[in-house]
Amino acid sequence: MNENRIQTFTEEIGELKLRGARADRERWLLAIGTVALVAGVALAVVGGFQASGTTEVGDQLAFLATGTLIGLALVIAGAALFVRYSIARFMRFWLVRLVHEHRTETDRTIEALKRIEDKLK
Amino acid sequence: MTSAPILELRNVRAGYGSIDVLHGVNLTIGRGEVVALLGPNGAGKSTTIKVISGLLRPSSGHLIVAGRDVTGASAGALARAGLCTIPEGRGIFPNLTVRENLLMATFSGHKMSDIEEKTYARFPRLSERRTQLAGTMSGGEQQMLSLARALATDPAILLLDELSMGLAPLIVAELYAQVAAIAAEGVSVLVVEQFARTVLGVADTAVLLTHGSVRMAGKASDIGDDVLAGAYLGS
Repeated sequence: MNENRIQTFTEEIGELKLRGARADRERWLLAIGTVALVAGVALAVVGGFQASGTTEVGDQLAFLATGTLIGLALVIAGAALFVRYSIARFMRFWLVRLVHEHRTETDRTIEALKRIEDKLK
Repeated sequence: MTSAPILELRNVRAGYGSIDVLHGVNLTIGRGEVVALLGPNGAGKSTTIKVISGLLRPSSGHLIVAGRDVTGASAGALARAGLCTIPEGRGIFPNLTVRENLLMATFSGHKMSDIEEKTYARFPRLSERRTQLAGTMSGGEQQMLSLARALATDPAILLLDELSMGLAPLIVAELYAQVAAIAAEGVSVLVVEQFARTVLGVADTAVLLTHGSVRMAGKASDIGDDVLAGAYLGS
């Protein structure tokens, strides 16, 4: 080292892309997905009730277009976000659990090997 | 040895959920400087390391690295740039051999032959253990391996969390001699230690943390037994 290394380090730190907000992006997208899912269902139900509450075909189409169709679109988008980020969280948790179990197993094997080694001495 | 700071924490508050652990921590590490972060159990030392390494985002305050505010940068990005952390306890893959553990460090773009050459020159004992499972080595040898793997990535800043944990005093002295040699090469080192006396011999600066706040910061030689006793015993 070391002036060159410090220079490279300073340059690499300078090039880091930072996420501006401190908010947890994944948590926000999961929350947005949940809200969109609930809002979509509500909008679809309201649109359906409004459409069934009138005999005018033009009004029914308008209610279906603004309520039910937009609601369904929100349900699909919200469900996609919800599933995507819920699964990501679950899989991450599962991976950590597997690593932890693997380490515990390794520790047990090492302890058993040590006990055998001590008895053989 | 010290010049412009390579790393700074400015008034950092951080914690877990609604519980704040750090209450406005300020810390400065100069180039090639060894800083000892001391304090009793639960003082917030490991949380400080997590904030610096990017594993934990501060709720307020700033992390400045090489003159740039990198608050919120990911741990991976900081590690790739050259901020290397050796975590508390085991930082190695116990079910891989020494050589395979070193192979893991080649992600940084360094050749395996170069990594092995440097490692075995610095830690000859690892050369004898190269085909042994890392988990079956002694605690000191495991720490040597974690140090070697960290150094293989050519870090600019090294963060060491409780290097001496569970090790015999002679081994600890040997490891800290290596830390001093690393710092002499220009690497800035932050050492977190609960057992202060083991690290004050090699540190330039010491920062004493209690209850998530900096109680004292200054030259390592200025931290006397009375100050440590006061901090650790709660007076």
